[in-house]
Amino acid sequence: MLTAHNLTRRFGDRLAVDDVSFELNPGEIFALLGPNGAGKTTTLRMLVGLIAPTSGSVRVDGEVMTQQSAPALRGRIGFLTETPGLWDNLTVRQNLHTYAELFGLPEPSAAVDSVLDLFEIRDREHDRPARLSKGLRQRVALARCLLHRPSIVLLDEPTAGLDPESAREVRELIVRLRSEGRTVLLCTHNLDEVDRLADRVAVLRSRLIAVGTPEALRGRLFVPRVRVGLTEDAEGYAELLRRAGLREATADGRQLTASLADTPLTTADIVRRLVEAGAGVESVMPEERPLEDVYLELLNREDRP
Amino acid sequence: MRRTRALLGKELADLRQNLTLFVPVLLVAVVSIFIPVFIAIVLPAVTGERLSDSSDFSIAIELYRQQPQTRSLDPEAAIQAYIFQTFLVFLVLVPVTASMSVAAFSVIGEKQSRTLEPLLATPITTLEIITAKVLAALLPSLAISIGCLAAYLLVILLFAHPGVAWILLVPRSLAVIVALAPLAALASLQMAVCVSSRVNDARTAQQVGALVILPITGLFVAQLLGALVLSTQVILLIAAGLALVNAGLTWMAIALFDRETILTRWK
Repeated sequence: MLTAHNLTRRFGDRLAVDDVSFELNPGEIFALLGPNGAGKTTTLRMLVGLIAPTSGSVRVDGEVMTQQSAPALRGRIGFLTETPGLWDNLTVRQNLHTYAELFGLPEPSAAVDSVLDLFEIRDREHDRPARLSKGLRQRVALARCLLHRPSIVLLDEPTAGLDPESAREVRELIVRLRSEGRTVLLCTHNLDEVDRLADRVAVLRSRLIAVGTPEALRGRLFVPRVRVGLTEDAEGYAELLRRAGLREATADGRQLTASLADTPLTTADIVRRLVEAGAGVESVMPEERPLEDVYLELLNREDRP
Repeated sequence: MRRTRALLGKELADLRQNLTLFVPVLLVAVVSIFIPVFIAIVLPAVTGERLSDSSDFSIAIELYRQQPQTRSLDPEAAIQAYIFQTFLVFLVLVPVTASMSVAAFSVIGEKQSRTLEPLLATPITTLEIITAKVLAALLPSLAISIGCLAAYLLVILLFAHPGVAWILLVPRSLAVIVALAPLAALASLQMAVCVSSRVNDARTAQQVGALVILPITGLFVAQLLGALVLSTQVILLIAAGLALVNAGLTWMAIALFDRETILTRWK
């Protein structure tokens, strides 16, 4: 388990991270979102013990990260940096083998073989990273990050610049890490990816603006709505629902959208009333706002005086 | 120890792919060997004038007549031995140049290729990083300097007067190569590592590392003017002083290798 407790970091007069606290649980994917310069990378670096917080603390499995404890605690963390950072003069195998030694693994060659197979890069083990595609380089970097089987994995932009197929493979890997009970912290600008993967989301702009599950954040910011597809024009049925007490019911051709805020009516009640009124119902879908809307709304609210 | 060995292996593998780094070293080696050969052998052969005809080298003849092991040398051989002994200190420049070239790129190269952050995220300590980087620069430098000494002696054996090469095979010569050269190289590369932790340009680190050349040149000039006789004792005394400097520079290298500064201030 990884805990950030009141983390604050100043660089001279600039406050990069302000009083940030959260707890990452085993088997959880936690996404850290924020605009450029929001302090995401600084937070990651503090979590991995590369830079010290001005105040506050990081705990790994209950143990406080200090200058003395950091080398040992780093052995429990896998950190994928924003750029792959592979040694171009060494082969893929030499890169991984050196890291296996640096992490003090008892059988470095076996560990390297294992990640080469896991990431399906065995056929490129004797290539130099400079000769690999961006996607393959990222795969090697991920292999390096998981070489020592860390219980906590911090991923900074793991799918940035990857083609859709490679990005999907990385996402599948992240899901696999969760199913193995590892803690994953994902730092990304890809909100669709976060929507698909994250159990919890934190929005950072120097300080934490919001933390919660994507559903909870949606519920906090937007009223729930239901979209009903009809076989005929929806205008008359929208009027019917407004008369029944719905504050917001709008029609757009054969689509009817109804707000479930401030009403005792449920989706089932609405559908029943429509059917009783003779409407042909083709589809019923809860309207889910994309995470992007949630994220932008959170930032907008933060900007408002 | 294991982590130091792992990083050292990586550094040496890196060097094997970057052999062009040693081109300046090769040039320094060739020039260091060529200059005394030119003065002591080529020039007299081309002009037809013997070195012993010139009064400039009377100090050399006098010096060698005082020592029992060199008393038997004829004046020409004594002057050649004097020139080769004096220029021996120039061979110290070879490992110094090699160390400088390698060490200046050690930290800056990692910064520029963005490979330092993943490395720092491992359990490796600063002392282990510095040790690996220093050894990676020092070991090839020493190998090169021993190779240079062998080449120097071979050239003397082949082209100088008989007996001159054996005069150079004394503890004093070994002290220059085995004690003075490694310690001077170590000081140079430690300075380069210190500076490369704080700058983003390898040339700056090289320039600071090059400062070590000044005292070496001073030693050479002092010998030439007769102000200093580099006896084995004097060489060992200088080596002891350098060892102290090395210890101070090690402490400084660790203090300056501030992970936070390196990560947050690099461009």
